Amino acid sequence: MGRAELGLDRPRLTVADLLREAWLSLAGHPARSLLTALGTVLGAAAFVATLGLSSTLAHQVADSFDVRRATEVTARGARADAPSWQEPSALARLGRLNGVRVCGARVILPERPVSRSLGEGATPLQTQVSGVDAGALAVISPRVVLGRAFDSYHDTDAQPVVMLPAAVARGLGVHRVGVAVFIEDRPYTVIGIFDDVARRPEALVSVLVPYAVAQPMAALSSGEVKRDVVIETEPGAAQLVGAQAALALAPEDPARVEVVVPPDPRTLRQEIEGSVARLALVLSLVALGIGTVSIGNAATAGIVARTAEIGLRRAVGARPRHIFSQLIAETTLLGTLGGFLGAVGGIVITVVVALANGWQPVVDVTTALSATAAGAGAGLLAGLLPAWRATRIQPVVAIAR
Amino acid sequence: MSAALLTLTGIAKSYHDGAPVHALLPTDLRVDEGDYVSVTGPSGAGKSTLLNVLGLLDLPTEGSYEVAGVETVRAAESLRVAIRGQWFGFVFQSFALLAGRTAVENVELGMLYRAIPARRRRALAMAALDRVRLAHRAHADPRTLSGGERQRVAIARAIAASPRVLFCDEPTGNLDSGNTDNILDLIGDLHADGQTVVVVTHDSKVARRGVRHVHVADGIVREAPAAQRHQRGR
Repeated sequence: MGRAELGLDRPRLTVADLLREAWLSLAGHPARSLLTALGTVLGAAAFVATLGLSSTLAHQVADSFDVRRATEVTARGARADAPSWQEPSALARLGRLNGVRVCGARVILPERPVSRSLGEGATPLQTQVSGVDAGALAVISPRVVLGRAFDSYHDTDAQPVVMLPAAVARGLGVHRVGVAVFIEDRPYTVIGIFDDVARRPEALVSVLVPYAVAQPMAALSSGEVKRDVVIETEPGAAQLVGAQAALALAPEDPARVEVVVPPDPRTLRQEIEGSVARLALVLSLVALGIGTVSIGNAATAGIVARTAEIGLRRAVGARPRHIFSQLIAETTLLGTLGGFLGAVGGIVITVVVALANGWQPVVDVTTALSATAAGAGAGLLAGLLPAWRATRIQPVVAIAR
Repeated sequence: MSAALLTLTGIAKSYHDGAPVHALLPTDLRVDEGDYVSVTGPSGAGKSTLLNVLGLLDLPTEGSYEVAGVETVRAAESLRVAIRGQWFGFVFQSFALLAGRTAVENVELGMLYRAIPARRRRALAMAALDRVRLAHRAHADPRTLSGGERQRVAIARAIAASPRVLFCDEPTGNLDSGNTDNILDLIGDLHADGQTVVVVTHDSKVARRGVRHVHVADGIVREAPAAQRHQRGR
């Protein structure tokens, strides 16, 4: 075909030379390159920051729900007298429900004076008193640091015993078990002191007495008496048990019982992540579009400014495909760099915002990588039209200028 | 000894912009190895069209153009690209240097689309800069160079890979007379070393340096008698 006859090489451009040319073109006009890539930088930053902040927030949400509290269901009514839904038969029905580990009745009495002794010189503490049966005690699971917990004997026989929270014991000057404390004017034997509870944190400030002991106190109480049934469920069964508890406790009138179920942390987290992820997706699609258009526009405008350069390249032996690949390489490189810069910016934003709020920043590397890849894709896409246009430029323009 | 390097036979170029415009009427022209041809003529007379056709930058509308005996007009574009890149060197009035690249990088650009390794390109570029006495400014930004120096960089780019023909389009059009003499001396030296040169100019001072003189007016290409005598004398 003539080339061999003249001893000519096939015009070629190695990949290394192509990338070097693209880089030289970009680095030779830093301001132009920066402006061109700006849309992609912002888009990638928005994408990474939105997703980073949403996972940081979701992490926070997950953190604030511990597993134990997620297995906690409470059923309560407003009536002060011992209601039928707190009776053993009702509790037995509830206990047979799938997912119920243990349940029990509790009666919470308004604050009343608790003291170490009676008479002059006694300094009573105004303290809430709760009556708990064996089941409720198991749900609350107080961590006993001294002495022991109640057993069914204390409950069924209405033994006058108390368990004191460590703070109350300290306030009363009780440092051992076996001593008496007075609730109002009646003595009770301290059999245990606890410093923590697994569930129902409000029990930490409440003197615990057996359920049967609290009943007559409730009958005589002037203030508001609260009653509830506390339930520990199997992990993940809280919602199910919550839906059935009222019917099991009060089949004749379930509306009398109000059931409180903890928010499901997984649902909550998914809700947050889902909505933020959708937002991030929309945001980043918009940003990606902006990035593509901005690179495309700048590249198209650049073609006019670079007509002489392209003509020169054609004159010194570039084939149209060399021109095409160089321009595509330039926009793709710009998009990649823009995406990378934006990803770094997004990470910085995430970390700064998280630290400013005292959160643990959660940054997903794949997010940053996909932002960079999206930038590259935007650059490639944006380059197609201007690169094709550039191939139409004839070498003769090198002379015409 | 002289072999026909470039042979135009019945080459014509017309544009169809409503009514046909004849930029170049049917022309025969032969450029031999070692020639120094200057092409003159008023603006718009067709000398740029002649240069574009000779440099394979543009296709004629009729006729045949052989490079070393190989017909190019009806050949594949890739052949013209290869000849342009490997046999021809171009020097433009506007220098056409790329900003943001050093002088030596600009020189290397002339060899980019060839099977020459980067290291060899750098060596050839440095040798070419040395040839135009600009080795000391190899790493300068062209914007910091004077007009004459820029044109010398452009000449280095054109000759770095030893082209068979050096085409110069108004090489001194943007230069003062001192720099013009420098550039013309340089082109003269290259010719003295055997370089085939085609210079297009409207400046008679530049044209006088040529050995053969071709005049283009109204699309008609005519070789001046002095050059014909010279050709006969060879």
